[in-house]
Amino acid sequence: MKPAPFTHHRPETVEETVELLADLEDVELLAGNQSLGIVMANRLATPDHLVDLNGLEELQYVEETDDGVRIGAMTRHRTLERSDRLAALVPMLPEAAEQIAGPSVRNQGTLGGSIGEADPAGNYPAALVALDGVLHLRSADESREVTADDYFIAYMFTDLREEELIEAVTVPTDPFPPERTGMAFLELKRAAQTWPTVSAATAVRVDDPSADDPVLEEVRIALANAADIPLRVPDAEDVLEGEPLSEAGLAEAAEIVTDAVTPEGEMHADRDYKEEVAGEYAKRSLETSYERAIDGETQHGDTTC
Amino acid sequence: MSTDATGDYDERVTEEITVTVNGEEVTAEVEPRLKLSDFLRNECGLNGVRVGCEHGVCGACTVEQDGRTVKSCLSYAVQADGAEIETVEGLTDEAESEDGSLHPIQEAFHETHALQCGFCTSGFVMATKELLEENPDPTREEIEEGLADNICRCTGYQNIYEAVERAAEEMRE
Repeated sequence: MKPAPFTHHRPETVEETVELLADLEDVELLAGNQSLGIVMANRLATPDHLVDLNGLEELQYVEETDDGVRIGAMTRHRTLERSDRLAALVPMLPEAAEQIAGPSVRNQGTLGGSIGEADPAGNYPAALVALDGVLHLRSADESREVTADDYFIAYMFTDLREEELIEAVTVPTDPFPPERTGMAFLELKRAAQTWPTVSAATAVRVDDPSADDPVLEEVRIALANAADIPLRVPDAEDVLEGEPLSEAGLAEAAEIVTDAVTPEGEMHADRDYKEEVAGEYAKRSLETSYERAIDGETQHGDTTC
Repeated sequence: MSTDATGDYDERVTEEITVTVNGEEVTAEVEPRLKLSDFLRNECGLNGVRVGCEHGVCGACTVEQDGRTVKSCLSYAVQADGAEIETVEGLTDEAESEDGSLHPIQEAFHETHALQCGFCTSGFVMATKELLEENPDPTREEIEEGLADNICRCTGYQNIYEAVERAAEEMRE
C-alpha cells in the first residue's frame, strides 16, 4: 500500500512540462491522483518519474469562446460541478462532474486525469463523445487537436502519445442554444465510490419549445461502461430526429442502444443486464433531456432517477 | 526494500518541505513517495489521521488542505509544500478550548452515539466540517452525499447523519 520510489518533478509552466516529457523515460503525469494514486499504492504502476501538474495554474480555467467552451485539463471536478457558465451552456458537464465519487475525491480529481485514464466507465469520456468535444494535446514538438470520437481507441487505450500532455478540452455550443436544448447525464450506480454500472449521456435540441409537440432537431446519445470505449449510438439518434419524442420512438431507440452495446459482464451485473440497462437509461435520459429542453429552466442537478 | 549494488538506497533523493499543520509550521526532509497521511502520523505525531485502506476508498485519512478535504493517502507530502493542513486535532483549537472541550461536530458525534469503534470518526468529522461550512443547513440527502467518500462499518450511518444534523443546528445558533 506504499508506492515504489519515484522522482518528483513540479514544473510551473506547460512549456517546462512538455520538455520534461520529452527528456524523461518511464514517466507518469500526476494530476488529481485519485486513480493513479490507487494504482501506484497497489504497485500496479511503478514509474521512475512523476511530473506533478498541480503547479500549472494556467491549466485551471473554464472560459467561453466564440463557438463553445474551453476547459483547462487541470480543472477539478468540483469546479466543473459548480460552474454557472457550464450549467448555462453545457449542463451535461456539471451533471457528469457532480456524480463522480464524493466531495474529497472531486476536490482533487481533474478533467484531464479522467480523459487520460480513459476508463470507458468514466463520466467525461461519454459526455465528450456525446457533445462532439475536442481534446487539445501538446508535446515539445507539436500542438494538435483530436476529436473525442477519434481519441478513445480501445479499453483504456487512446491516441495520446507518451510525450504528450492534455492541455484542454473544447465543446462546441453552436448545436445547443440553451433556450431549446436539454441535456442529461444519468448513472446507475450502487454506491458513490463505485464505478457506474452503466451511464447514459444525452442531449437534444427542439425546434420550438412552446409548440404542442416540439420536434427533435438534434439528438445525441452516448453510453459509458457499455463497451470498451465510450460509445456513441448514431443509429438511435437518427430514428428520433425529425419527430417529436414519442413512446414508439423511445422504444425503438432503446432497442437500438441495447443491440449496439457490448458491455463486459461484472460480478453484480452480467452482460444481458447491462445491455438492458443501457437501453433503459438511454430512454430515461432522453426523456429528461426532452423535458428540460421544453421547460427551458436551469437544467442542472434535478435528475430524479 | 534492499540496497542494490549501486547503493541507490542510501542516495535516495529527499525534498525539503514546509507545511503549516494545525497552525504550526513544520519543516521536514521527505521522500517524494511519502504519503501525506504517513507524514502527518509519523513526522507530526497526529494519530487522528487514520490509515485504513491506504488507497482512497475508506476516507478515514481525510484532512483539510487549504480549506478543502482531501484523502491524505492519495496525496504525497511533497505536494503539501507551502500548504495549510488541518487535521481532527486542529478542531479542538478551533473550539478555543483549554479544558478539553470539543468542537460542536465532535460534541454532536459524541451525543448521538455516532461511532462505535471510532476508527472512521476523524475522517467523518473532517468531511462534516467541509459540508457544514459550505451548506449550514443540509437536507438528509445532502448529508449522505457530503459523506459519500467515507465508510463506516459499525454504525449503519443513521447516527452519523443525526450527528451532522445536530451539529448543523448547533453551529447555526
